[in-house]
Amino acid sequence: MATGYAPSSMYRSREGMGVWEHRGKVAAVGVGHSPTERRWDEKPETSVGAWSIMALRNAIADAGIAPDQVDGIVIVPETTTGAFWPDDKPLPQDVIEAFVQTNDPLDGVAKLSVDWLLKNMPELTNINYSVYAPVCMSNALNVAAQVVGDGLAHTVLVLKAWHNLQGRYYQGGQNAQDVIGGTSAIRSLWGAPACYGTALQFAEYCRKYGKDHDMLTPFIINSRRNGLMFPEGYWAQHRPEELTPEDYQLARWIAKPANLFDNDIPIMCAASYLFTTAERAKDMKQKPVYILNHADSDAVPRGLTPTLDEVESECAFTGRKIYEGAGITAAELSFENMYDGFTQFHQFHLEGLGYRGIGVGDALDFYQTDISIEGPNPVSPSGGNIGSGRSRFWMHTDSIQQLQGRAGGRQITGVNAEIGVSGGPMPLGGNYTVWSATPD
Amino acid sequence: MERNTRLKHIILIKRKNNLVILISFDIDGTMEIGDPPGAVTLEMVKTARAKGIITGSCSDRPMSAQRALWKEYGVEYDFVCYKHLLSDLKTQFKAEEYYHVGDRDDLDRKYAIQAGFGFFWPDEAAANPLLL
Amino acid sequence: MKQGVIPDEFTAPFWSAANESKLVIQNCSQCDRLQHPPAQDCGQCKSGDNLEWKEMSGTGHIYNYGVVHDCPIRLLQDDQPFNVAVIMLDDDPDIQMYSHLPGTPVDDVPVGAAVEVVFEKSANGQKIPEWKVVK
Repeated sequence: MATGYAPSSMYRSREGMGVWEHRGKVAAVGVGHSPTERRWDEKPETSVGAWSIMALRNAIADAGIAPDQVDGIVIVPETTTGAFWPDDKPLPQDVIEAFVQTNDPLDGVAKLSVDWLLKNMPELTNINYSVYAPVCMSNALNVAAQVVGDGLAHTVLVLKAWHNLQGRYYQGGQNAQDVIGGTSAIRSLWGAPACYGTALQFAEYCRKYGKDHDMLTPFIINSRRNGLMFPEGYWAQHRPEELTPEDYQLARWIAKPANLFDNDIPIMCAASYLFTTAERAKDMKQKPVYILNHADSDAVPRGLTPTLDEVESECAFTGRKIYEGAGITAAELSFENMYDGFTQFHQFHLEGLGYRGIGVGDALDFYQTDISIEGPNPVSPSGGNIGSGRSRFWMHTDSIQQLQGRAGGRQITGVNAEIGVSGGPMPLGGNYTVWSATPD
Repeated sequence: MERNTRLKHIILIKRKNNLVILISFDIDGTMEIGDPPGAVTLEMVKTARAKGIITGSCSDRPMSAQRALWKEYGVEYDFVCYKHLLSDLKTQFKAEEYYHVGDRDDLDRKYAIQAGFGFFWPDEAAANPLLL
Repeated sequence: MKQGVIPDEFTAPFWSAANESKLVIQNCSQCDRLQHPPAQDCGQCKSGDNLEWKEMSGTGHIYNYGVVHDCPIRLLQDDQPFNVAVIMLDDDPDIQMYSHLPGTPVDDVPVGAAVEVVFEKSANGQKIPEWKVVK
């Protein structure tokens, strides 16, 4: 099956598009997860391919349907978290041969294709539509919602998986070389780690609004607390450790003002969702969660790195698109699950949403109030990446589960779960979904 | 004289003179209970403590988690800290010799040297008479 | 020590100018619009037909900075911690460049201060534009 990337026409990137034409007509009906691990042990049964199949099957089972009812699939083919199979390392033949292969030996090992999945999931006999979404689950969800809404397929699986190989993060490849190419050098010569750009924005924010790094503490503590109530997540499964204020505030800097715990950790994991029409959803096992809108941020910075002005402007723009397409206002949000892979941009997302009426410069003060799941203003009830490791999908699973009343220990109790928003990753460049317990 | 033998020689002399020694252990990549596991076993730490050596961990793991780990395995400890705060141990504990054991050149070895600690790689420490 | 640079065809003019201690930035002559990093097309008119390299005055101001304590690049790890500042060029504040701010103490960076370009050699002798605070 020839599969290409979703066309730009599927995304809602502009203001003034009005209410989404399929508002309330597409529903999430199944959630499936794999286990998590810190790094791959290079066994077939724990490969990114194996775990993708597991997540897909779990989503189908969760929805209570037969696999042949699925007629569409949206996946993110990239599975790297920054780790690539080294050119000089022999291919894992035992892993490759444990599955039906495609002509790419790394398929199912360090990347995924629809072909590989369909070859190894013979039960998916009725896939008539497939499309790729780049990079993140957030992007794939937008595409899947549009696919179902447009009638390109009526029951669609959505998948994102991550591999993480042995060895230290970002230490190999170009970074280990004595010389690099001229184009890369323009950005990378100065050795700024991944969190640097966000740390800069945060530094400017603190100077501008008179805030400081330690004001992030309650957000971090809250996120890890919530993450430990996410049984599918890494910390809950492997190292159920709460974080204390001392733990966080004394941690070493990575790129000051971002410290170790302002960064998530890369892990191996996979998740899948099943979307269908609101009509079909009525007959499925779980309570449907309706999609009111999806929105896309495709901004690029003017210079090497986004300024605070650009971030605040774009987050506000994203907020307006989110609300316009969903036909709601900020006051109607029960909760938010915006991305937190770097802790220091979650506040920009919050301010862009105007969550609970906050404006620019208010978020760190907001963090000092009751942001718990038990309170009136739940922040990141999923715990996000900080709570469960880098997946960029805990926020989506939690949003669906909150609205279904299936969030377990994380279920928000201070407000009724009626409408939520999730998405990311970056303030400039991300995808967002508005979820609702009812179609209208 | 081979390096480990030379160190063994020096350390035995110092023990004979009842000098106070402090050893901090990184966890991941260094200790058997780490992720990934390393060469230093809990028994080695207990042996060191039985010899009167001040021991604890110095890791990227949250300090509260380090305390919980020692408690989980039933091993006493005198301190936990973060790698970049190794030098604080010199203020907290008066010892004649300070050593750090770790697996990362850019973190463990670097911070150990900056703090004026001696440094051992995990396999060196695991072969050191102080832990045997 | 910064990694050495092997100029590629696309960015050769930038690196060649640096070796002559000149700072050039890509410019679209049609739009009279500078852009950095350089791209195949102008970010405004989307055409690659009018791109040229334009010499800058070599002055700027410090917009922001961070201090890198854990760097992924092997050759820089012995230098940790170090400043990484963002410089905005006086020729066009939308144009940013990174800098280690040679001569400025770590984490003691005067945000907003005036800087001027200097050129330092990297690991293979290629000169790299850097920025120093103007005293």
